[in-house]
Amino acid sequence: MLIFDGMSDLSAREFVADFFGSFTREVIAGGDAAAIVDRYYTPDIEQIADGVTLDRQRLIDHLRPVRKNLVSCSYDVHEAIRTGDRVAARFTIRAELRRGRTITTEVYLFGELAPDGRMRRTTQATRDVTVA
Amino acid sequence: MTTFKVLGMTCSHCVGFVTEALEELPGVESVEIDLSTGTVALATDRPVEPAAIRAAVEAAGYEVER
Repeated sequence: MLIFDGMSDLSAREFVADFFGSFTREVIAGGDAAAIVDRYYTPDIEQIADGVTLDRQRLIDHLRPVRKNLVSCSYDVHEAIRTGDRVAARFTIRAELRRGRTITTEVYLFGELAPDGRMRRTTQATRDVTVA
Repeated sequence: MTTFKVLGMTCSHCVGFVTEALEELPGVESVEIDLSTGTVALATDRPVEPAAIRAAVEAAGYEVER
């Protein structure tokens, strides 16, 4: 994971792509789910996606079905900005499932980062743009 | 139409995981899921055993509400 310190030359787009891409790769690769979540998210994480709130434990629990079903996942970040500890981005996730289905989701994200680069809070709206 | 609730779905990918698992069941013609309520509606061309539905959902990592 690349660390966001607010001073880096790393672009916001690169940061967002690396953050979620690296997290997902670690999840798929296996290993301790709690340890992976704790590397990317603060203990008080609040992730709200389409009105559904996940805290740390629910985020950890979510990784079990993800591992069962997901083969690969790519993040195409269309635009992103960052100011201080805040980041906003619009990106597309392409998820390949174990039985062959591909799910394409466009995401609009607002995030708050901790000083160490971990995500502290995100609010996301998503829409399924999968082409049948 | 068969309807039931699935516990644990939190995002559109969860919906895709459960949809894919249920579409594998013989007789299932379509799967509609309301993420906000966890409600799943199955259209089938023959009776599908509840145990088979439950097993498919559990294999995907979720649980059918009892």
